[in-house]
Amino acid sequence: MLTASLSAIHLLGFTLVTGGALLTNLRFVGVLLAKQPLNDVTRPATRGIAVGLAISVTTGALLFSTRAIAAAENRIFQVKMSLLVAAVIFHFAVQRRFARAAGPEGVMVRASGVLGLGVWLGLALAGCAFILLE
Amino acid sequence: MLELCEWLESTAVGVLVRESAYGFPTVVAFHIMGLMLSVGMLIWFDLRLLGLVMTKTRVSDLYRRLAPYIVCGFVIMFSSGLILFTGFAVAAYGNVYFRVKMAAMVIAGVNALVFHFATERSIASWDALPGPPLPARIAGLTSAVVWMVAILSGRLMSYTMF
Repeated sequence: MLTASLSAIHLLGFTLVTGGALLTNLRFVGVLLAKQPLNDVTRPATRGIAVGLAISVTTGALLFSTRAIAAAENRIFQVKMSLLVAAVIFHFAVQRRFARAAGPEGVMVRASGVLGLGVWLGLALAGCAFILLE
Repeated sequence: MLELCEWLESTAVGVLVRESAYGFPTVVAFHIMGLMLSVGMLIWFDLRLLGLVMTKTRVSDLYRRLAPYIVCGFVIMFSSGLILFTGFAVAAYGNVYFRVKMAAMVIAGVNALVFHFATERSIASWDALPGPPLPARIAGLTSAVVWMVAILSGRLMSYTMF
């Protein structure tokens, strides 16, 4: 029942993270809330992603601890972790900088939105694949 | 009700969900991925109703922008959920978490109806305000809590059904 509860809370975190990631990256691409300043959308979305990550990473680590070796050797899990690291670095180190910068939004902003969507969607799919195919 | 569940399980869709190697994981994947479009986006409207995020954006504006994604998400959720239910109707019917989930969704629906047909009528007077009036805040909080319950019980279902 502990695993079940942790997994359930992990899914809550997933919803917060992916919702925030969708909000940010759809704004970066310019298809959602395009008239709002980039940082006005990115700032709250980033907070959502941060809270969601805190929940997901904590529950994820606890879930991992119960079957660490099997998970670590699992290809899908390795892909999931790689995408997680890539997504987090990309959002917090790259996109947040774009959001805070003044001036017109160029092609780099839109391109980063497309890339961000790909990485976060990939992470979500890897998570699904891990629980469904392990 | 139980007979209906047994009938559903015996249909071609029900059998496919249960016996196809990739059918079940695919439908579940759609169900989980649909979460990010539905509740994942709806939560941001709930937070705006609570006056916590994007307070410079009009409530109606945010709603209009998010609605296509939310609707699309819920279409995916309901169709994949119905397909999953068809495969395991009897087990779901008897599962307490399934019943909690359905109750939560009914409350979510009623909450949405009350918001759209009552609270929203006065939106012209509070649309641009950073802090919406109490009925709107209650709607936002109720939605957020109820969908959290739905997500939790939905996941707990899969651990207790089989």
